[in-house]
Amino acid sequence: MPVTKVLTQGIGEADLRDMKVYRKRGGYQQLERAFKQMKPADVQSACERSGLRGRGGAGFPTGKKWSFLPPEIRPRYLVCNCDEAEPGTFKDRMLLEETPHLVLEGILLGAYAIESHHAFIYIRGEFKRGYEVFMEALAQARKAGFVGKGLFGTKYDLDVTVHRGAGAYICGEETALLNSLEGKRGEPRLKPPFPAVQGLYSKPTVVNNVETLAYLVPILEHGPQWFASVGTERSKGYKVVSISGHVKNPGNYEVPLGTPMRELLEIAGGLRDGRTLRAIQPGGGSSACIFEEHLDLPYDYESLAKVGSMLGSGAVVVMDDTTDFVRAAFNLVRFFAHESCGQCTPCREGGHWLERVLHRFLENRGLRSDMEMLARVSHEITGINLCPLGDSIEPFLASVLKRFPEQFESRIARETFHAAQRDGH
Amino acid sequence: MADQQLVTVTIDGAQVRVPKGTWLVEAAKQIKREIPVYCYHRKMGPAGLCRICLVEIEGMPKLQIACNTAAADGMVVHTQSEKAAEGRRAVLELYLVNHPLDCPICDKGGECDLQDFAMAYGQGFSQSIDPKDAKPKAVDLGPTIVLDEERCVVCQRCVRFDDMIVGERELVLKDRGVRNIIATANGEPYRHNFTGNVTELCPVGALTSKTYRFKSRPWDLRRTGTTCTQCPVGCQMHVDVRVGAVQRTMSVESDDAISDGWLCDRGRYNVGFYGSRDRITQPLYKHGGAWMQVSWDDALDLWSAAIQEAIAVVPASAGAIGGGRLTNEEVFLLQHVFRAKGIKNLDWRAGRQRQASPGKKSAALADIEKAQAILIVGESPAERAPIFDLRVRKAAFQKGAKLIRIASTERPYPAPIRAEDVTTAGQAVRALAKDIERIAVIWDGIEPKAIRELLEKLPQHAQLSTYITAEQPNARGAEALGMLPFFGPGYTRVSAGFDTAAMFAAARDGRLASLSIFGANPALHYPDAPLVREALERTAFLAVSDLFMTETAQLANLVLPAKAAFEKTGTTTNMAGDVLPVNAAQSLESPSDALSDLEMVIALAERLGVDLPLAEELDAVVLRHLAQASEEFTLGDDRFVFCHPEVSKDPERRRGDGSAIRVETRIFAGGGTSAHDARIAELRCLPEAAISKEDAIEFGVETGDYIDLSSGERTMHDLLVEVRPGVPQGTIVLIGGLPDGPANLFGAGAVEVSNIRKDLSREPAGAPA
Amino acid sequence: MIAFDALLKKLKPKCDEIIAQYEQPRSALLPLVHLFQQHEGYASSEAQHAIAEMLALSPAVVESTVSFYTLFYRRPIGKYMLQVCRGLACTLNGAEDIMAYFREQLGIGHLQTTPDGLFSYEEVECLAACDRATCMQVNLNFVYDLTPQMIDDMLAAMRAGKYSVAPLAQTATPPRTWMPVQDGEVARGDKSDGAQDQPAPNNPGGLDRDGVIMLDRIIADEARFKGRTRERLANVEPALADAIEK
Ligand SMILES: Cc1cc2nc3c(=O)[nH]c(=O)nc-3n(C[C@H](O)[C@H](O)[C@H](O)COP(=O)(O)O)c2cc1C
Ligand code: SF4
Ligand code: FES
Repeated sequence: MPVTKVLTQGIGEADLRDMKVYRKRGGYQQLERAFKQMKPADVQSACERSGLRGRGGAGFPTGKKWSFLPPEIRPRYLVCNCDEAEPGTFKDRMLLEETPHLVLEGILLGAYAIESHHAFIYIRGEFKRGYEVFMEALAQARKAGFVGKGLFGTKYDLDVTVHRGAGAYICGEETALLNSLEGKRGEPRLKPPFPAVQGLYSKPTVVNNVETLAYLVPILEHGPQWFASVGTERSKGYKVVSISGHVKNPGNYEVPLGTPMRELLEIAGGLRDGRTLRAIQPGGGSSACIFEEHLDLPYDYESLAKVGSMLGSGAVVVMDDTTDFVRAAFNLVRFFAHESCGQCTPCREGGHWLERVLHRFLENRGLRSDMEMLARVSHEITGINLCPLGDSIEPFLASVLKRFPEQFESRIARETFHAAQRDGH
Repeated sequence: MADQQLVTVTIDGAQVRVPKGTWLVEAAKQIKREIPVYCYHRKMGPAGLCRICLVEIEGMPKLQIACNTAAADGMVVHTQSEKAAEGRRAVLELYLVNHPLDCPICDKGGECDLQDFAMAYGQGFSQSIDPKDAKPKAVDLGPTIVLDEERCVVCQRCVRFDDMIVGERELVLKDRGVRNIIATANGEPYRHNFTGNVTELCPVGALTSKTYRFKSRPWDLRRTGTTCTQCPVGCQMHVDVRVGAVQRTMSVESDDAISDGWLCDRGRYNVGFYGSRDRITQPLYKHGGAWMQVSWDDALDLWSAAIQEAIAVVPASAGAIGGGRLTNEEVFLLQHVFRAKGIKNLDWRAGRQRQASPGKKSAALADIEKAQAILIVGESPAERAPIFDLRVRKAAFQKGAKLIRIASTERPYPAPIRAEDVTTAGQAVRALAKDIERIAVIWDGIEPKAIRELLEKLPQHAQLSTYITAEQPNARGAEALGMLPFFGPGYTRVSAGFDTAAMFAAARDGRLASLSIFGANPALHYPDAPLVREALERTAFLAVSDLFMTETAQLANLVLPAKAAFEKTGTTTNMAGDVLPVNAAQSLESPSDALSDLEMVIALAERLGVDLPLAEELDAVVLRHLAQASEEFTLGDDRFVFCHPEVSKDPERRRGDGSAIRVETRIFAGGGTSAHDARIAELRCLPEAAISKEDAIEFGVETGDYIDLSSGERTMHDLLVEVRPGVPQGTIVLIGGLPDGPANLFGAGAVEVSNIRKDLSREPAGAPA
Repeated sequence: MIAFDALLKKLKPKCDEIIAQYEQPRSALLPLVHLFQQHEGYASSEAQHAIAEMLALSPAVVESTVSFYTLFYRRPIGKYMLQVCRGLACTLNGAEDIMAYFREQLGIGHLQTTPDGLFSYEEVECLAACDRATCMQVNLNFVYDLTPQMIDDMLAAMRAGKYSVAPLAQTATPPRTWMPVQDGEVARGDKSDGAQDQPAPNNPGGLDRDGVIMLDRIIADEARFKGRTRERLANVEPALADAIEK
């Protein structure tokens, strides 16, 4: 079994929320070493060489993202994105609640690497406990001198501010997050300019996912080579995968990238007894479904992209033969329509329209022409929005519409009408 | 332009050379290629929300938005390709899914971007069969605007206008996603001086003007381009007339030099007075205390006879006041006729203002945007020259100019526009950067002392541009064309006559036999109403030409019905010296017997036997005089100081005397056009009194209470109290020009506060709701 | 009003501390709303005005921002905010039955508060606890692996004032829904906000009678619709076009 424990190490065994416990297990040593023995550029280069890619969804190489910062402009900001709200994803919440010091150490390392003196963590509003746990951890770290002025006897000041969201999925999108952090509506910004050039307070800013930053700690500990040696050609290292849905043991599992889908399924205990697999959504609510024939695919960015899906945030939702795909499609479309910020017309109007039509299907009042409409409109609103949310509606809908048209057909009004007539109603 | 790098882009096969960084939508305009937009606006830049401006760019897999894509060298753009057309079609289909399609009863019908684009780029049918979302229609947003939420396409132009251009941030987007609506805080009225612009910005019929609702179809309107003459800015505007009446006015988008493409609410909405029943329609003669209608022939005979009689005794016993509301041509002829008869008592000034021309340091309106610091002395342009005020805000908000108000008693600017308030000129100068290069000074033309003090202290190395905001639209033209007792046309020196103050003094002493007042209302605007009243009552023959029976006209012997701005043709001079066209609106019906002041003066000249320049020469003569600013004078120049009673009294006077009054302008105050326009009744000001915190405590009043003011036997009732920081102790700020509470009522006297009534809504809870 | 002034005075130092954490004061907007909501139970308009003043913003801007976020309540809410997850993973594991049970037990629907002001009920998007589906939050505290029995016990404990999670502050009587009403119909409850089985805002919840009649007419006439989009679909999704052709 390829389950590994890197970030998840110690979770469930010891109370890592306690700084003493965390330190006893080697915590904050990498931070100290970085500050005392490494230059920011060294940390940056370690990250680059490890091949670490963003774990927030886009999978962009982290070292490369950092390199876009214009060299002269200061201050720079690091923002840790803990607004985890992608349907099916629950890894960041676990890291935040179970091992807050690791998250904090990752943030501090990231900030040091890009020479930022003020880092932020944006925590999803619903994560009240996570927020409290992290605040406590931050207080402990501050007391120990790991946050604040003149860290580890150097002249380096580094402060961390915790910012709570208030219920908006879109604030996970990095520019929406920055707006929210600036006290504005969480509406994504027009790009360019990109955050690396003009982010928070119009200053160069890097936004990184919790998991991404947390991996900096083991990368420094074991060396970039260690990280780069696992995984596949372009998807390196480990990934915490959130597996849920129709499996026996849903949960977070840390695996090397490239682990075959079939093994992932097994890790989570496999399907419930007597059930057969119908579909898997491998990368969060925005990803297209894959099916039985894809079970031998390695779980990595490229392989999933090749079959028209994506790894995204690493949320695997498994669906067996009890699944009502019309309802599932409605569920996700409603999610995106509900969470659309409403700036762009295609996302706002299109999402709402699709939701209403799908709802009609749930009432057995679909039209055959609606099936074309669902495919057509969801496709037409893709690729023309300001941010990727509007583009997230199509993949799941289109993939199940194509795979399970009979589920939609059985809810077409004429069909149900004839069926009712046959039954003598 | 010269230092800007040019790039060449190919749009639909045509090559366009534009400065690097030009947005594709703008570049396409150069080859007359329309790229449809909803959210983009030239003055506000791209927002990237509506997604209708999609174009195909070679080498890019996805369609791009033309509003936020900068032209780059070698870029090949297709606006008409199948892919681009398909993208637009898809977006338009979505716009119509929930749109109510109530075009037959929509004011925007015929000039609606949704109609036009759906026609040009849409698919012509809808696949949506579900019922549409119901949303509130005809939401009353405030005194000027109605919102139809169902029609709104959420382009956010209105919101961005309120944010970036005005800075008030009253109109915002509320809720999220498909629930997004345009709204104000807590449903409070949307109210500032520029609200009407959002109706023009709105690409659909969501935001409409109350004054224009259900009034007309655009194709039934006759449109005339002219200059707004409600204030000295002189915005270019379109007047739209149907069934003989002004239906609306619209801004001229290309008018970058003057209005920047906007209109204030006064210029836009205060146009209902043209058809007002209160208009004077016939010459009126006061006979035995009663008004009787007379013919124009009789009126002109009476008038010319009175003037002849007066000058027969001594020319100094005749005079004329006015000109700031007339056209350049009218002013020129007016002073020409009077001077030809040896009358030297000529003055345009009928209110608080003393000077309207800034002299050699006068600058173009748009130049204020280049200033690094803007110093405001006296009243700010906010209510005197609103559209110029928008430029001041732009300079401060978008271009980073430092904005300083000296001894201001006005309300603060809205938050994003940072204005520093200082009390003395010295403080203002100290607040400037040492190496400052460009300073702009804005003065209200009233108190010469303060402005002179500032000018003396300003750093000499800096380039200075100066502006005077005037009380009357053509004040500067009137000055340049000789309606001053000491300057003839073109500021030529003439032997001096009486100024306004001296004329009133002479009249009070019974030494003025004939006075003619043209489009001015000193009884309401001159600082000392009791004096004006007494003076005019004692004038042997007073002729007044005006649109309405103003406070001044009521004191006259002869009242002459005048034509208003949209009813006549000529030119006007704005505060920056631009000579702008005034055009009679086509098919507008004016009161049958009204004459323009030009026509009146020509008829008068005939009777007085004065030769006039040939009509075809008049334009050239006027322009020549306007062009020659031979006199070198500065702001607060001695020559302009006439000795009318102190306009504002020294605030540091002893207490116990009562309070001194200070007057401020409001765009919807005034006894003329705004008082006689029923459509804007809601906008008209009611009497208010702004006082200092200290005085509030002393008098025991709070904001929202009502008070009376009195001095001697004169009393003004029901003033709404506002406790305002910046008002010095011992001063009460009143709104000038209100017929219901004339701020000049008390003359120079100190006033006492009496009869305080508490604001009932603030009573403690427990009172039955 | 008087109570609010006292609260404002009490919270002012904390507010200043929050504002000082950021380079720009406006950043403190969300934390300040959280703070006032914690004390008042909702983001009252007095609080919004006070925040506007502290941050030198117009009240409209604050209201606009507050209205964007679903965890800010612009109207009073119940003492227990019951937020049941309606995300995909929970739905796959029977969230619909759980939600139906809640509605039945509480006698209210999505976005509504019980008349006694004790419970507010909302069906929310994925709560990031899919491994413990079906789940919910009570005043933002997680409750996992819901069963009808647990719901019975939970509601009983709350009614008896013995539940382990503290009730929210409540400074005003909550109305029927905390979503500011956009029109009369929403106020009367004729339209839903998009909870389980009901599509989004202002929508009549599927088709009304007229809609059904219209639909039946359209069905009779469906070929017309099909033809028009057929060609487009063929480019977009040939497989689906084929499937539908059958
Ligand atoms: C609609 C949307 C929602 C997103 N939500 C999240 C999120 O909840 N957490 C996250 O880390 N990234 C999220 N992202 C991705 C971020 O925009 C950004 O790419 C990421 O935080 C960068 O971090 P990384 O490079 O470490 O992955 C979201 C993106 C979009 C478009
Ligand atoms: S795509 Fe949707 S969520 Fe993204 S900016 Fe546009 S409207 Fe907002
Ligand atoms: S004009 Fe380009 S997106 Fe609206």
